[in-house]
Amino acid sequence: MSAGLGAALLAWSALAAADAACLAGLDGGQALESPGYLLAYRTRPAPIPLGQHFAVEVLVCPRGGGAAPDAVRVDAHMPEHRHGMNSRPTVRAEGAGRYRAEGLLLHMPGRWDLVFELRGPDRTDRLTRSVVVE
Amino acid sequence: MRAGAVAALAVASALFASGAAGDPVAPAGLARFSDVEVQRILRHGPWPPPWAPDPSSRVSGRAAAAALGERLFFDPRLSGGGTVSCATCHRPERRFTDGRPRAEGLAAVDRNTPALANVRWQRWFGWDGAGDSLWAESSRPILDPREMGGSARGVADLVRADPDLGRGWVRAFGAAPGPDDLGVLVDAAKALAAYQETLVSGRTPFDAFRDALAQGDVAAARRYPLAAQRGLRLFVGRGACHLCHLGPAFTSGEFQDVGIPFFVAPGRVDPGRYEGVKRLRANPFNLLGPHSDDPARTTATGTRHVRLEHRNWGEFKVPSLRDVAHTAPYMHDGSLATLRDVVRHYSELDESRLHVHGERILRPLRLTDAEAEDLVAFLRSLSDERAPTASGRPGSASPPRRPE
Repeated sequence: MSAGLGAALLAWSALAAADAACLAGLDGGQALESPGYLLAYRTRPAPIPLGQHFAVEVLVCPRGGGAAPDAVRVDAHMPEHRHGMNSRPTVRAEGAGRYRAEGLLLHMPGRWDLVFELRGPDRTDRLTRSVVVE
Repeated sequence: MRAGAVAALAVASALFASGAAGDPVAPAGLARFSDVEVQRILRHGPWPPPWAPDPSSRVSGRAAAAALGERLFFDPRLSGGGTVSCATCHRPERRFTDGRPRAEGLAAVDRNTPALANVRWQRWFGWDGAGDSLWAESSRPILDPREMGGSARGVADLVRADPDLGRGWVRAFGAAPGPDDLGVLVDAAKALAAYQETLVSGRTPFDAFRDALAQGDVAAARRYPLAAQRGLRLFVGRGACHLCHLGPAFTSGEFQDVGIPFFVAPGRVDPGRYEGVKRLRANPFNLLGPHSDDPARTTATGTRHVRLEHRNWGEFKVPSLRDVAHTAPYMHDGSLATLRDVVRHYSELDESRLHVHGERILRPLRLTDAEAEDLVAFLRSLSDERAPTASGRPGSASPPRRPE
């Protein structure tokens, strides 16, 4: 088991049962959480291929009876190199908390931060997951 | 990582890797590479990689279209005055470059003539990436008044009137040229693209070493000069050249500002990718437009999502390094005459010029003279030393063909 997957499962196991039940709607997804939301994502294809377009499937679960986000944005950047992608992904809402981001491409090997920005009526949460592509 | 690649890495690491980039020379004429360096080296092959025809051109990969495209490539009648052909700048005997710092067609151009070998694997075309397909890019110089100064009407009239080209057209497209001048120009560009798809550089000393590494073949690996091995270690190690020059073609296919001066003449700058993105979006021949033969627009993802940012100012496409020994002078403006000049440029980078947009990729390498020579030796080993064939096509790899 990779360290990244192990950490994801540990984080998942710490979630409340209701939250886990919500996120279970995305098989094989990686879990992230913020004060306002829980999020699971998986890439298509997986793992992320270097230098090729890929998509991200996202499932968002508001916490504590909160509202679904009004907008979801997905992006990526390389913090060590201080640059982002050369493409601007589009995100399509598919209903029931599901979204699909298209048009991502990581053009350089190394560590990238995948960033999920969830904009609600009264809050914006940014959830980040580091990935390494080679 | 695929199972085969894992096995190859295990073999290579056992025979060649030191576990750390430590000992400068291994026994029997082999440098030592760390496990990470071995992984990076293996990712630069094998050569040539697989290729599939371009779905946006219905004649991509077709031999009859390539034959027509070859005729058109060398025909100066495509130009406005009948004096300039594609081959005026893309000269086969010079690996499809012209040896000049900047191209000269009907007039002087601000940029260096790029080589054409291996263009079939590219995502963006032209130094600024304003073309998103090989056929779209092939139409551009025909219409550019500084390059060929032609027109859709001129090209259409030529192929309709010339019996030999007309026969080639029927073989390539299954029908005579139609009445729509613009449509004929686009199809001529698709034939030109089909020809250029056949230009594949041959295997190189680096490829032999890389494959020996993958197979654990020490005897074969020893044939790769030690200077090139040391240069390779710099390339994938301290130099971090592999961050942009990656994969079998030694390019990310994307864009980078590497510190070449912005000015192409006093008071005039080349905006590079910044203008390229704008031109791409405005290009009626782009993959989102009506001239693509792919109804699903499966290859248009990059165009649909292309991003314009201020940092694109002064960025130019990362060129492939294959055949680089034969394609001097270098950089988008041809301002560096030799590979030694290129290595010196990266060794002495002006950081204050480079990091105006906040990026932190490039640092001056501060190479010793010996290290610089090693890096040049490695770069030279990326070239196919065999002379081009009579038709001018580099290399010997057989491109895949669609069934006729």
